[in-house]
Amino acid sequence: MPRQFAYYPGCVAEFSSKELNATTKALAPLLDIELLPMPAATCCGAGDVAEAKPNLYLTLNVRILSEAESMGVDILTICNVCTLNLRRANKLVKDDPRVLEAVNEELIKAGARPYQGTVEVTHLLWFLATEEGLSLLEARGPKGLNGLKVAPYYGCQLLRPSSVMGFEDPDRPQSLERLITALGGEVADYDSKTRCCGFPIILAREEVALKESHVALAGARDAGAQVMVTPCPLCHLAMDAYQRKTEQLMGEEYAMPVLHLPQLIGLALGLPTKTMEFKRHLVPVDEVLSSVGA
Amino acid sequence: MPATTFRIFRYQPDSSEPEPFHQDFDLEHEEKLTLLDAILRIQNEQDGTVAVRYSCRSAICGSCACKANGKTVLACMTQVEQVKAESGEEIVRVDPIGNFTPIKDLVVDMTPFWEKFKAVKPFLIPDGPAPEKERLVPKAAMEKIANESKCILCAACYSECNSLAADPEFVGPAAFAWGYRFAADERDGQRKNRAKLYSGEHGVWDCTRCMFCNERCPKGVDPRDAIEKLGSIAFQEKVTHDKGARHAKAFLISLRSGGKLNEILIAPYTDPIGAPFNAPLALRMAQKGKLPKSPLTHKVKDRDQVKKLIKNVKETI
Repeated sequence: MPRQFAYYPGCVAEFSSKELNATTKALAPLLDIELLPMPAATCCGAGDVAEAKPNLYLTLNVRILSEAESMGVDILTICNVCTLNLRRANKLVKDDPRVLEAVNEELIKAGARPYQGTVEVTHLLWFLATEEGLSLLEARGPKGLNGLKVAPYYGCQLLRPSSVMGFEDPDRPQSLERLITALGGEVADYDSKTRCCGFPIILAREEVALKESHVALAGARDAGAQVMVTPCPLCHLAMDAYQRKTEQLMGEEYAMPVLHLPQLIGLALGLPTKTMEFKRHLVPVDEVLSSVGA
Repeated sequence: MPATTFRIFRYQPDSSEPEPFHQDFDLEHEEKLTLLDAILRIQNEQDGTVAVRYSCRSAICGSCACKANGKTVLACMTQVEQVKAESGEEIVRVDPIGNFTPIKDLVVDMTPFWEKFKAVKPFLIPDGPAPEKERLVPKAAMEKIANESKCILCAACYSECNSLAADPEFVGPAAFAWGYRFAADERDGQRKNRAKLYSGEHGVWDCTRCMFCNERCPKGVDPRDAIEKLGSIAFQEKVTHDKGARHAKAFLISLRSGGKLNEILIAPYTDPIGAPFNAPLALRMAQKGKLPKSPLTHKVKDRDQVKKLIKNVKETI
């Protein structure tokens, strides 16, 4: 019996970065996971709604949690930002029954199902980087990454604030490293793997954002990485889609392909490259594919 | 008795060795020893020229922030053995806080920090004539700003702010925590003016949400949350001209119209003037299928509920 999750891919994976959604869906049966759709789930607000209208942010996110609760399963995410927003809302209502009551009043008034507080929110990375997840990968007999030198890039919101996220030490995370090693890759370690990609302000403060993503890209390049891997589609957009702009701004070359986490796993498990839709990347990944014999 | 090597950042621009370097000092010590006591013992017993700023030794003056194995801490409330255990390293590297210019060893030039602090007007500016007696404030009103009132201006947040590293003019987390502390104080009469003051080019909308400030603050102030609440005050006061505020508005419009993000809308709505200059990138993204082909919004099931929530839910900051 596969492990069932309410699947919350988030807006970016559903639209701009469809390759992430497609790869995750293709990977799920190989990992004995069943991804149940959440047809009523809205956008999490990406931190922007929390900034403009915090009570509305909380209510909308609790509505999402409540949909999963009605399905009787926990939520699986594939985006740092969605994970933080959903977990933060969950913590706010679980920590204070008065907050939950006030949110539920609004939900009931709007005809939505009230929330009991029974759902957990986990990211695919967290699910896979546990003993259970690693044994699922091992059971697939991965063909491996052929020593591919991979720079793990965590970004911010899957690590911090640790009071909300709490899966691992936010300063010395190891989950991506564990996966890369288990899949036969080599870790390219560098300090800026936990720094910000700048994406949240890339449309409003492009230059500041690109200077931030430069720190991460240059760190991975200088560590000798052949490729970066990230658990977040927003980091991916900043590093992949905007990479040429960052090169132009900083007068540097990175030539750094960036993979979504499920794509790296898919390569190691031998998913067809067509399924993972690498053609949608702006920085070509051809050398990565040939390096792992895909 | 444990022994530890402290690798301390040295910078003595007036000395015969003016370039920065790291110097090792070995210390035998009891199991319990704070990082500040270790530095002071080194200063007293081994090298009196090691410069460090400190005062209260009890985590209230905010003077002794530094980096221990890369992580900004208050030296007086950090145990040496804890640094070693957390970092997995036997050597404790001690550096000055980040995003500042060192003056001497661990002492940095705090001038930009204080200038930005002053710029947010960190004091009450009441409206109207002074009352005859004191202003009474209900407890619940003070609870709204209790977190931010704990700030001791140690600059641990500023030290690792990713937006500041990219834009040294960004006002930064500590100053905005104080800005919120006064903007949300019911005795203050400058809520709208403060919203305007904090919404400038290097203001609240510069925050990249890296969350380092919340993670590092030794007093639990959560400066990022304060910045977020200042954004909300800006919305309530209708100070939403900034591109950052427009970006947030685009999310609200998307939610109202379908429930999910409308990617056709977000870039031109955020920056109607600048977006056309990004046409080459937009074209490259479109060629790769990264931009939606249809301007139609993505509609979720039961979106009448979402519309009702948007209409009904009241903000309370």
